[in-house]
Amino acid sequence: MRTVLACIDASAAAEPVLMAAHATAPLFGADIEAIHVAEDDDTNATAAARFHHLSLRALRGDVVEQLLAAARRPGVAAVTVGARSQPTGHRSVGHVVWELANGADAPILVVPPEANVADRIDRVLIAMKGTPANAKHLRHAVELAGGANLELVVVQVADEHSIPSFSDQVHYEVDAYAREFLARYVPGAPDARLDLRIGDPAEEILQAAESTDAQVIAVGFTRGAHPGDGVAHQLLTRSHLPVLLVTLR
Amino acid sequence: MMSEAAQHTSCRAMAGWEFTLDGYDEELQRVHNAQFALAGAGLGTSGGPLLARGQAHRWLVVAGMYDGDGPETHLLVGPVLSDLDVDVADERLHRALDLRTGVLRERIGTGPTSIEMIRFVSLTRPGTVAVSTRLSGGVRRGAARLVAMAPCDEGATGIASWMRVGGTRGGIVAALREERRGPVVDDFVAVVADETALPDPNVALDELDRLVEVGFEALLAEQQDAWRARWEDADVVIDGDHELQFAARFAMFHLIASVPDHREAAVGARGLSGTGYRGHVFWDADTFVLPFLAATHPESARAMLEYRLRRLPAARDAATASGRAGARFPWESAGSGRDVTPTSARDRTGAVVAIRTGELEEHIVAQVAWAACHYLDWTGDEDFANGPGLTLLVETARYWASRALMAPDGSAHITGVIGPDEYHESVDDNAFTNVIARWNLLRAADAVDAATGVELGVAPDEPLAWRAVATALVDGFDPATGVYEQFAGFRDLEPLTIAEVAPRRPIAADVLLGPERVRGAQVLKQADVLMLHHLIPEAVAAGSLEPNLRRYEPLTAHGSSLSPAVHASLFARAGDFPRALESLHIASRIDLDDLTGTTAGGLHMAAMGGLWQALVFGFAGVRPRAGRLTIDPHLPPDWDGLEVRVRFHGVRVRVRAERLRCVVHAEAPIELDVAGRPFSAGPVSTEFRMSASGWESSS
Repeated sequence: MRTVLACIDASAAAEPVLMAAHATAPLFGADIEAIHVAEDDDTNATAAARFHHLSLRALRGDVVEQLLAAARRPGVAAVTVGARSQPTGHRSVGHVVWELANGADAPILVVPPEANVADRIDRVLIAMKGTPANAKHLRHAVELAGGANLELVVVQVADEHSIPSFSDQVHYEVDAYAREFLARYVPGAPDARLDLRIGDPAEEILQAAESTDAQVIAVGFTRGAHPGDGVAHQLLTRSHLPVLLVTLR
Repeated sequence: MMSEAAQHTSCRAMAGWEFTLDGYDEELQRVHNAQFALAGAGLGTSGGPLLARGQAHRWLVVAGMYDGDGPETHLLVGPVLSDLDVDVADERLHRALDLRTGVLRERIGTGPTSIEMIRFVSLTRPGTVAVSTRLSGGVRRGAARLVAMAPCDEGATGIASWMRVGGTRGGIVAALREERRGPVVDDFVAVVADETALPDPNVALDELDRLVEVGFEALLAEQQDAWRARWEDADVVIDGDHELQFAARFAMFHLIASVPDHREAAVGARGLSGTGYRGHVFWDADTFVLPFLAATHPESARAMLEYRLRRLPAARDAATASGRAGARFPWESAGSGRDVTPTSARDRTGAVVAIRTGELEEHIVAQVAWAACHYLDWTGDEDFANGPGLTLLVETARYWASRALMAPDGSAHITGVIGPDEYHESVDDNAFTNVIARWNLLRAADAVDAATGVELGVAPDEPLAWRAVATALVDGFDPATGVYEQFAGFRDLEPLTIAEVAPRRPIAADVLLGPERVRGAQVLKQADVLMLHHLIPEAVAAGSLEPNLRRYEPLTAHGSSLSPAVHASLFARAGDFPRALESLHIASRIDLDDLTGTTAGGLHMAAMGGLWQALVFGFAGVRPRAGRLTIDPHLPPDWDGLEVRVRFHGVRVRVRAERLRCVVHAEAPIELDVAGRPFSAGPVSTEFRMSASGWESSS
């Protein structure tokens, strides 16, 4: 049986994490397991889980070690975890998130504490920066989403190397470029849409998410990357939507 | 996405005539399908392998066979051969397209257990596809079959099968029959299209019987002979650049294949190499494709003009509807002759944008006239000159005469248009539009005055009125600088030199900077003023090429695939060989390297035609004018020679240009203009040598 792990702490941030697990589990055909690494009292975490009709598995020990061990178990389809405890103030991303992203194979859905998580996920924005070489690695994300019949929007933020050289007649070129791009790099999603943007990658991705009413942003994540680097980090810091980190393979 | 075609597969040219590919690339399959596309006599089909399974993108189209209405009009996709079940252990695939004979060879497997296939679309027999498969070492092959996305019906006789696809009005039927000759399996496909009603399968079956009777070997010999004859008249030989040589032949191959020479020829932006651009006909056909055919196979150029002529009633209606006289040809044309340009579309960010080219890009009217005159200049076709060609000139001149606005000071203006530079819309007095309209008016007036014994239906004062409008049209030319202002107010736009701000060129500047910024800046999508120097050099101010190159090329983003070839030609004429070659190289790789990211939808016919024009008009300096074949070579230092073959007034001519020597072989006497000096040539070879005072005949 497949499982979506909902990793919660004792803060109010647990609520959106659990909601995200509920919205995500049907996409994977998975059950939900709520886990909490208790430092002292796990009353709050237990209550939060119970509110979502889940029993809580309380773990003891080092938070990162315990969560990684859980995430690496066979059958874990995805892990949902909070971005941070506090919705306001300094918006850094907790170190647990980075450790999970670097250590687990399963995709990590990082949920901001202020996220307004939908009951059901229908539309996912798959973010790609720069050259299409990166797109190949996001096939896994597409496969995940495609298998769940989600509406996919792929946003490619072009850089100076990937801005198209030619654009003859926009009403044909856009369609032709998108059709070939999607056929080539996301063949598992024939109905996906391509949104090509120029500019600051994180900014453009966030705008695309807003304009398309996306409910989740999926972005590639390179193992070993410094937490402060890259588009993924900026998205995790700035997004009000859950962000799915997909390890680039 | 742009350069991966060249990187991922072993895709290489051999000896200048073969386009080969080893292996099968899932990601690039659609690009390769277009590059290997086979076409002839108005039929085109994807070049995807038949010996590899899982091909999703197979298509078959017929020139001019459209479906749908309005902007949604598109090429109807007919039944096509499916991939074959093959029983070979080693599935390594090799493909080779012989450009010289129009034959595609496929091989799967190696050594004694292999399958070899030969396939072609006949260049001379309309609707004919022939395939021959040789099976070695006991391998087996499944039966060929036809497939279609949405067949309306199908059937079989004892020896053949057929499948039919219906459109809004007509349809396409294909019939298939297999014949065995020992280890060889021949498959014949006959395709019949009808624009007005569903075609009768028996017509295709009868044609199939005829093909079988002729036999594969005879059909193959016919194909090879037909293609060799075309190359005899069309080849361009570049001594000193093998890569460019191959690219030029690749381009000419697809131009020859995509344009039929009977009845009428609707040449869409992607020809018969794909379904991209819905098969709509743009100025690409009249301006960039027709010249190659006019010079090498005039029958095809005539068929292209017939396409326009048959849509003259619709063009007249369009002019009347907009309160004008004459004929207003549409920016995008398909079956009906009415404009099929969409009025809106989603841009790359998904935002809905207005498409105004159909409404405002009116220079297409003059392009049709230009195409007719260009055909006449190459052929001297008197019947056309005094008949349908004259009609085209008259009707387009009438349009311009009614379109121009007379100002109180006696000047004439054409306002609210889009020129070739589509970054700027609804501009006034676009130099290109005004000058080519002027040329159109004058050429029509001259033609009417010269016409004798022809009932023209032209009022006696019309030619005079056309000349008056032509004289009055402003052109934005500044004699002090030698520069034409691209349109009124262009110089007041933001002075932005794209060459300095863009990370590279070509680049889609509207994507880089945003459409609003480019609209307000001196940034060009492609040659605009400079198109005048390319198309009608005799109609621009003498000596104005270089000042306008200096002024406008740095402002040009080359965001149109049409642009590099035009600039290659102009730089060559200006003697700037490094830049000429740089532009020429880009133009030559547009589809070979999938530089647009859209080759999967079909090859860029206009870019291919432009490449030929750059070589012939630019580097060889060969073009017809006023009854003479002008020759004015500009050869880069690295080239040992450049040979072009053309047909001038029915005479086959070969011009071989070297740095200091030029040889002209004409089968019959013709008049030449060699770098401004008149000469005669033919029927024997005439040699010219460069001296201190210019070219001199040494024959």
